[in-house]
Amino acid sequence: MNYQDVGLTAQEYAMISGKLGRTPNQLELGLFGVLWSEHCSYKSSKNLLADLPHEGSAVVQGPGENAGVVRLNDAIHVAFKVESHNHPSYVEPVQGAATGVGGILRDIVAMGARPIALADSLRFGTDRASQSLRHAVVEGVGAYGNAIGIPTVTGEVAYASGYEKNPLVNVMAVGLLPAERPISARGAKPGSYLVLLGQPTGRDGIHGASLLASQDFGEGTEHMRPTVQVGDPFMGKLLMEATLEAVGTGLLDSVQDLGAAGLTSAIAELAYRSEVGATVWLDQVPCREPGMTPYEIMLSETQERMLLVVQPSNMEQIIQIVAHWELPYQVIGVITGEKVLTIATEEDPAAAVVAPDVLAGACPLKPVPQEWAAEVRKTAELSPGFTPLTWEREWGLEVLGSPDCMSRAPIYQRYDSMILTHTVWGPDHSLAVLTVKGVEEGLAVAVRGPGRYAARDAYSGGMAAVARVLALLASQGAVPLGLTDGINAGNPDKESVFRDLMALLAGIGDASRAFGVPVTGGNVSLHNETHGEPIWPTAVIGAVGRHPHPLRPVLDAPETSGLDIVWVNPSGDASLNGSVFESLRQETTAYPRPDLARLAETYRVIGSVAQSADHLTAIRPVEDGGLFVALSRALLASPPSLGMTVELSADTAASQLFTEVAGQFLVFCPPETAGRLESAFGQWPGAFKHLGRVTGDGTLTIAAKKSVHYGRGELERTYARGYRG
Amino acid sequence: MTFNVVVDVAWKEEILDPAGQSTAKVLQQMGYAADNLRIGKQIRFQLQAPDVAQAETAAREMAQRLLANPVMETYAVRVVAE
Amino acid sequence: MRVGVISFPGSNCDQDTLSALEALGVDAVPLWYGEKSLAGVDRLVLPGGFSYGDYLRSGALAARAPVMETVERAIRDEAMPVLGICNGFQILCERGLLPGALRPNASGEFLCTWETVRVASVPLGFEGLAAGDLLRMPIAHHEGAFSVEPGGLAPLFQNGQVFLQYSDTVGQVHALSNPNGSVANIAGVSQGSVTGLMPHPERAMADYLGSVDGRKLLRGWLGEGDR
Repeated sequence: MNYQDVGLTAQEYAMISGKLGRTPNQLELGLFGVLWSEHCSYKSSKNLLADLPHEGSAVVQGPGENAGVVRLNDAIHVAFKVESHNHPSYVEPVQGAATGVGGILRDIVAMGARPIALADSLRFGTDRASQSLRHAVVEGVGAYGNAIGIPTVTGEVAYASGYEKNPLVNVMAVGLLPAERPISARGAKPGSYLVLLGQPTGRDGIHGASLLASQDFGEGTEHMRPTVQVGDPFMGKLLMEATLEAVGTGLLDSVQDLGAAGLTSAIAELAYRSEVGATVWLDQVPCREPGMTPYEIMLSETQERMLLVVQPSNMEQIIQIVAHWELPYQVIGVITGEKVLTIATEEDPAAAVVAPDVLAGACPLKPVPQEWAAEVRKTAELSPGFTPLTWEREWGLEVLGSPDCMSRAPIYQRYDSMILTHTVWGPDHSLAVLTVKGVEEGLAVAVRGPGRYAARDAYSGGMAAVARVLALLASQGAVPLGLTDGINAGNPDKESVFRDLMALLAGIGDASRAFGVPVTGGNVSLHNETHGEPIWPTAVIGAVGRHPHPLRPVLDAPETSGLDIVWVNPSGDASLNGSVFESLRQETTAYPRPDLARLAETYRVIGSVAQSADHLTAIRPVEDGGLFVALSRALLASPPSLGMTVELSADTAASQLFTEVAGQFLVFCPPETAGRLESAFGQWPGAFKHLGRVTGDGTLTIAAKKSVHYGRGELERTYARGYRG
Repeated sequence: MTFNVVVDVAWKEEILDPAGQSTAKVLQQMGYAADNLRIGKQIRFQLQAPDVAQAETAAREMAQRLLANPVMETYAVRVVAE
Repeated sequence: MRVGVISFPGSNCDQDTLSALEALGVDAVPLWYGEKSLAGVDRLVLPGGFSYGDYLRSGALAARAPVMETVERAIRDEAMPVLGICNGFQILCERGLLPGALRPNASGEFLCTWETVRVASVPLGFEGLAAGDLLRMPIAHHEGAFSVEPGGLAPLFQNGQVFLQYSDTVGQVHALSNPNGSVANIAGVSQGSVTGLMPHPERAMADYLGSVDGRKLLRGWLGEGDR
């Protein structure tokens, strides 16, 4: 095995030899191979991520831990993070997706938080194979989440041909912890034991992280596919309960979950963060298969394992808890004061000897050329907008029934969204609203990742991703506490891909700053390419907000007739660039750059209208498919007798109905509220429009030159089953 | 000709089988000395083919392409003329 | 009244069930499947979840747990009221304490939806429920298609053992109101003091959750009626 076999470059190898003062042995080389891989070291993206805003009044823990933590109130903190499992889900969709869910849940548990919700963000191709892939991925997400008993409360899915061989499976998990609980991934003290809990170690997923997720797929890489990891939500449930009970005693030094790069990453990270060393007695690690080499044991990605750091005097009490949950466990090592990580076997007490800060903290990062910062923000070349001069009744149905807009019920009904009995709004709404037992404040949870908006202008797409998810929180009057970013892109060694990555992150950074919401952690998945074709740079943004009155969410559909229908469109622009409507007709063009200052002001106003909402006002952000889809979905969610009549300017009806420019809201409200919106938005040309009224005729009527009617049944069928032409 | 095809699909030896593991544990609790328990599945169907060789080729192809996931499962195909 | 809620490894609706019972003013006692005694409880609930990961067949492994012998004895000797919800229903069927079996849903998929069920016959000891009552509760299961051996259906109806049937919102029982392929739309059955149902009453305890009909069902089982 030489340095290339483990994915290191000549420079990296030279650097390692320099730091060690000798050449690394085979085992050490393997350890460096995984920890200095893209997947573990974030070497291509770390300098870009550093530019995101991480500070905020609600932030308890920013990036660098297993998950970010924000403050819900004085008593309760919220841990949350998004993670991807893209490559494994393509290789084996059911297990790949399932272990993805298991992995992010263990991240939350490792923060000492009890998981309370999952949200999934999925991307698939448009061919037939992608449909069976979707079916299997949904099976996997459900299989793990349902069985471990954490509800999947919200999510999103979108389709584009670029995701055919690179589906995206991003999952966000949210957990709660008492405010007084110390964050527990640092704090290992010399003399404490390393207790490995859970599934015995097998040859699962060796090199899964370092090679699979750090290289592109192609014909030549078939043989590199590692042994698939199989998820065991049953053991996952026992592991979760045991770990949380152990954390609850306050007797643990530290907790670290085993994910990518298994023991290697867990122990190196733990020692590095706690500024200590460790000795690992490798023969003590319980193995599922005979004859496993030290290299295999250190790199195995067997699921459902957790590392607890326990002082000898606390062992008895912790072991009692572990035994109650019938979990296998073993003491596999000890924390040392000297900052050296020693892997010892019976034959070789110094099988590997490296400093944790070299292993986990010294990987050289890809530099970011300074001039690019300005370059990526430069106005993109504007593609001539596509503006139909007329509009057809059929177009509405075509957009509503398109894969990107139609009902997600066939997916989310396969997830348990109600277990734990705190889901007030589940996946049949655009965002989730959850109660938190024992306190008045609740949570608003949303996830969005509009890849299409980044297809031609990644900077615009990055901004739009943040804008989309925060619009959902604003519609509930929820105060955003923090964001988590799931970045998905192609091979960063290609200049075009790296440039897109940089633009995407610049967009996320600028938007988060403009809205004043910090990013507290996330995940980067690169090398999403097949045969040299990268996916669209796709930023999946998850948001957690403080909901002022979760038992009474602000309506998202009218419940009484006679209300005014108001359209807020802060930019006043109605271009179709980047829209679903456009994608059904031609190549996607660059998404209009959001005016962040204006959006921030818009969300402030909408948020305050939502907070003071009477029991009549309904607010719905305009998302994929534009106003038409927002109107249709609101109609389908309101009592069957209700209808809507709206009037549009005849010459630009299609643009108004289908534009997806950022920051639009559809509001159903009494005249006083409409007046309040008009005085707030009247200052910006075209930003406020009184569209019409909620009627009692059960149909959607759109008047633009001629009057066009859509029956509820027709909309319902199209939304449920798709457009059939 | 009609052939009866039986495809046995099993996890590869190195793949974790949580269901088998849990089932063995309960059998042991019930007092049975069951060990190394693995759960697989059996797929049976009938197939029209000119001869047994072609039936076998087709069945193998089906197993490879759909019935088993070669990434983590093995399969055995039996073809018997009706 | 003391009601025990038995958790098996992998049970995950136990906390929701305990909270629901507590909300009804009951002394709800968590019981771990490894405990030898039933701690002097008057009634038992087997909650939902994925005991033993639902491996082999849903409920099959938990049904062989030693605690189930104790449960069986309590039913036989004291006619102890036992309610099995979802996975608890599956366990009771696998143990032979309730008739029938729960097969995988007709769709082959897990299904989590709101359903209306109609009371067909009121089981022994229930108060405040009448045949024809409609209850709205969620289902969340992969193996919920109730089935019986050939010839087993008619006796169930004749003996008044069919408790709940999936119906439409006005109480009509037909193929379109059958979410999972259960024979005769059966969502719950009873036998003596034992009752099982697939829907989750513990998730229908408050308006903000979508329904309060779970209170009515649980109060009925507790013999208190709907106050």
